[in-house]
Amino acid sequence: MSTALAILQALFLVLAAPLVRGAVGRLKARFQRRQGASVWRPYSDLIKLFQKEDLIPPTASWIFRSAPRIVFAVIVTAAAFLPVFQTTALAGHRGDFILFVYLLAIGRFFLMLGAMDGGSGFGGMGASREALVSTMAEGPLLLAFVAVSIVAHRPAIAGIVEWTVGQNFFDISAVHILAFTTLGIVSLAEAGRMPVDNPTTHLELTMIHEGMVLEYSGPSLALVEWANAIKLNVLLSLLIALFVPWGIATQLTWQALVLALGSYAVKLLLLAVLLAGIESVIAKLRMYLVPDFLGVATALSTLAVIFTMIAKR
Amino acid sequence: MGWSSIFWTFLILLGVLVPLTQLGTKTRALQAIGIALLILGIAGGLVLAAVCLWTGLSISIRLPNVGYFPVSLAIDGLSALFLFLICSVALAVAVYSSSYIGRHYEAVEARWMWALMSPFVLSMALVVTASTGFAFLFGWELMTLVSAGLILVEGDAGDRIHNVYIYLLMMHLGAAAVAACFFLYWPSAPGLEFAAIRSSSAHLSLGVRNALILLAFLGFGTKAGIIPFHLWLPRAHPIAPSPVSALMSGVMLKTAIYGLVRFAFDFLGGGPAWWGYLLLAAGAVSGLLGILFALQESDWKRMLAYSSIENIGIICLGLGASLLFWSYRSPAWAALALVGSLLHSLNHAYFKSLLFLGAGAISDATHQLAQDELGGLQKRMQTTGVTILVGCCSIAGLPLLNGFVGEWLVFRSFIAGSGLSGAGAQVILPLFVGVLALIGGLSGACFAKAYGVSFLGRPRSQGAENAREVPWAMRAAMLALATVCVGIGVFAPVVLVPVSQIAGGLVGTLPPSSELQFFTVMPRMGAAILALVTASLAVRHRKRVAATWACGLPALTSRMQYTATAFTKPLRMVFVRVYKPDRKIEVLPEDLPYFPASVSYRSVRTTSFEKSFYRPIVERVVGLAHGLRLLQTGNVQVYLLYIFLTLVGLLVFLRFAR
Amino acid sequence: MEFAEVAAGKVVSTSAVFLMMTIVLLAVSRRVSTAILVFGLQSAIITAQVAGTAFLESSREAWVVAGLIFAFKVLGIPYAFFWLVQKLKTSRDVQAVTSPAQSVFLVVLMIFVSYAVVRSYAFGIRVPEDALAAAVALILTGAYLMVSRKKALIQMLGLLVLENGIFLAALTTTFGMPLIIEMGILFDVVIGLLLMGIFAFRIRDTFEHLDVSRLRKLRG
Repeated sequence: MSTALAILQALFLVLAAPLVRGAVGRLKARFQRRQGASVWRPYSDLIKLFQKEDLIPPTASWIFRSAPRIVFAVIVTAAAFLPVFQTTALAGHRGDFILFVYLLAIGRFFLMLGAMDGGSGFGGMGASREALVSTMAEGPLLLAFVAVSIVAHRPAIAGIVEWTVGQNFFDISAVHILAFTTLGIVSLAEAGRMPVDNPTTHLELTMIHEGMVLEYSGPSLALVEWANAIKLNVLLSLLIALFVPWGIATQLTWQALVLALGSYAVKLLLLAVLLAGIESVIAKLRMYLVPDFLGVATALSTLAVIFTMIAKR
Repeated sequence: MGWSSIFWTFLILLGVLVPLTQLGTKTRALQAIGIALLILGIAGGLVLAAVCLWTGLSISIRLPNVGYFPVSLAIDGLSALFLFLICSVALAVAVYSSSYIGRHYEAVEARWMWALMSPFVLSMALVVTASTGFAFLFGWELMTLVSAGLILVEGDAGDRIHNVYIYLLMMHLGAAAVAACFFLYWPSAPGLEFAAIRSSSAHLSLGVRNALILLAFLGFGTKAGIIPFHLWLPRAHPIAPSPVSALMSGVMLKTAIYGLVRFAFDFLGGGPAWWGYLLLAAGAVSGLLGILFALQESDWKRMLAYSSIENIGIICLGLGASLLFWSYRSPAWAALALVGSLLHSLNHAYFKSLLFLGAGAISDATHQLAQDELGGLQKRMQTTGVTILVGCCSIAGLPLLNGFVGEWLVFRSFIAGSGLSGAGAQVILPLFVGVLALIGGLSGACFAKAYGVSFLGRPRSQGAENAREVPWAMRAAMLALATVCVGIGVFAPVVLVPVSQIAGGLVGTLPPSSELQFFTVMPRMGAAILALVTASLAVRHRKRVAATWACGLPALTSRMQYTATAFTKPLRMVFVRVYKPDRKIEVLPEDLPYFPASVSYRSVRTTSFEKSFYRPIVERVVGLAHGLRLLQTGNVQVYLLYIFLTLVGLLVFLRFAR
Repeated sequence: MEFAEVAAGKVVSTSAVFLMMTIVLLAVSRRVSTAILVFGLQSAIITAQVAGTAFLESSREAWVVAGLIFAFKVLGIPYAFFWLVQKLKTSRDVQAVTSPAQSVFLVVLMIFVSYAVVRSYAFGIRVPEDALAAAVALILTGAYLMVSRKKALIQMLGLLVLENGIFLAALTTTFGMPLIIEMGILFDVVIGLLLMGIFAFRIRDTFEHLDVSRLRKLRG
């Protein structure tokens, strides 16, 4: 039962990802006083793309076609580490958040390679900027995880969720506030959202992720876009699981599961509203200001780790 | 027993027979037999090391005394691990060289290369299996001399003599420090047998122990390439032939790590906390600066040389954490950190030698090593490309490959540092997670650039355009190393078990087995990812080859792609304080700036260390030497005066010393 | 009213972390208007803290102080600053000596130092060390702003942040500061700011800029 639920969790993260993306897009449109596209639009986009043909540049090697698939496979595997409805996940072990972060790194690495295989300037440009952003984002990401793990005295993601559920919500600890802010900033950078990257741009001046996927078409493009949506969903679910997991099912009864699904949906919606708000209010940062932005995240995460010793709560 | 005789055969084959067949005769057949004997000998050594490593067997043989010094060799756990490392890499390199050397060198040079490669491998084996000080120092010195000889086989054009000179100078400074380490034990363990040294360490005073660790750090650090003793590395490794670079970078640096572990853990048995902090600081500096300097290089070999410095930094981080845990009486975690360091040494040997052999293959196929002149090689050299991709992914620390294993263990031990009760270490160790993450991120960027710019996209020069796949021997060697990288990455417990035994033996407690169980998830995860990828690739979609949109231009040229320099520009701008580049833009004619006839841009990138750290030291030493020159007047009577003054001084001293 | 008590207690104890974050935001802000807004936010947090303390200690004086701080520092002073910015028509940049990334790290170091300093002291006199450390960090940050920013307006702001820190330190060590002392300090600061404002106009009119580093040219 527990394993079936874990598989269901991972599938949910993968399949619900375009819906989350559609919801964020619709909320942004509403902020801008537009109607906005339907929240189911990304699904129809994906279906349309899967039916088209794959265009491959003549100079490309096998990496060009394999990169989107590797990226997709890796992010789906990473989704298996997250507890969503119950406190355990499909995979999990002491120290698994390091593996989680480095699985995301595999995806990035191959996305960069695939971009450079296209043979155009846009791919190299996107890859070079992505290298900048991801290098600066990896430190704070791991440090925030470490800080939360130290406070919870558990070395695994599932363990942290279990510990947090047992805590009182109003006992907010400084470490958690700092780690939440850090992970929020890093999620914006990793998922390619404003103010780090504009997900809807086609101007080369503002492209990071778009630059890397510019040459893809058809099923390859569908897989890459889906993988990006899954990444956003995974990061949002990570924020929920690590910091506000109350409502998650600690026993496997039907009421608990329904409550878990409901509370998760509400929390995800709130985070989507917050994300849409941030994207509508804050302008995209100039590229050479992004390291400063991530430097703030690094400083906050360093503070979080220092606080684990000072303010043991 | 039978194993000792295998060891003897190994020594004699490599030390005597192979060089004899190369240099002693002129018949090609005998030389070919010599090469085969070399490969056979190394394979024998590999089998021996594997047996000792996995069954815990230990062997010792005794050689005749040299003067006053006893000479004996022994293979215990730590030696077996490093002997395994040496022999496995040397085997791949030997197979690779059997084709590479023939293609690139004249007959005379080729014979000298084989004749010197054999004692090179032997010297490294001597260093790790020595069980007396004399054998160790003999092997140490032989390593330096033979590798210098191997570099010089290629000739002494241009800067080469200067670089070899610096190499020899720094190696001998390091060797002096190492020798001093050994001779500090002379009063308590005459003969310098390792067993005697081990037992006498307990009785040494704290001052002597501190001196020992500092000398060991200096001596072994110079050999390993820890910043600031690294100056010789980027000068010596790129000018050596590729197989020799592979051996130097992959294996020779590890003998220094072996020496450091032997001294700090085995002989001295750990020490005060500042030892750990010293190694942590050195590791962090080497790791960060090494990878930052590697980022700015666009020549394959120089980049790989700097990247070796970075990986040595990571190994030192693990060793520092281990010493710190041991000083705070947490031996289980100390063992885990030590396992991480030892395993990373092993893994680095494999992927670094793979990458250096790959660089040799690139230069063989395209006669170029500058990344900005390559491109599109993956379509022209399929197998080589895949093996180099495996090497690049391993060095970036991606999971399912061996680089991740050592790094995960070091990360895990840093996080466990929060459980210590000492105020400093409790927060400092987890903060190093950020340092290691930054190093890992930078190395991922560096090698994505290297592989992407060289192998993907369009070829940027004629040489790259005409690249052809290299001969099977070279490919076989690289494939073997790549398979080992993937194998250790997915099936890590195979090597984890013996290495944790070794670490447990050194520190006193085995590492926590629950941590080591982590790697059992790798095969399942790898299978899942592989299944997903093959399933999605196998689904039949319509494909069409179509040219990339060139924004309205007739076609894209290779010059429109990003170069290696362009790729790293954002990162170099962020870290501009480290690089301090020297830039000069000249627009001619000067009085008509808006109508330029020519614009020239000159950028000199040096590693800031040479300017700010070494030059003042060099200038001070030279100044001192100049000062001492005043004593040398050339006048005989002044020299007689010196003798007279010494005599008077001695008489005065004897009068007042009563 | 138990919930209100718990909430008040929570506000008082977690406001230290939010103050740390405003400190980091101040270090990273590149525009004068951002810095003023962050200052307003900081003062609001301190107001909440005073209100919470007032509720817990049931002290009427503290309620008055909270009202005063709200009126002056959250509404009055930021408004005055925005008016000054508009009148002076200077550039929007903060003209920092150090880059934002370096400023952030220096500020983190200062927070660490303030915690280290307060640790041994706070245990002895039974005060919440978070709030006292935040106060010391505010003082250090105010001083840092005055030192590292070349624009006179930001130096004034730094002085105000410093005053915030002093006030917070007094609040935590005396559990509700006597009204008269707070009035005195506030009066001092207002007069000082008035003078600096006047001088800012004079400097700008005479030299046509507000860059204090260029005042060096006045020396003989």
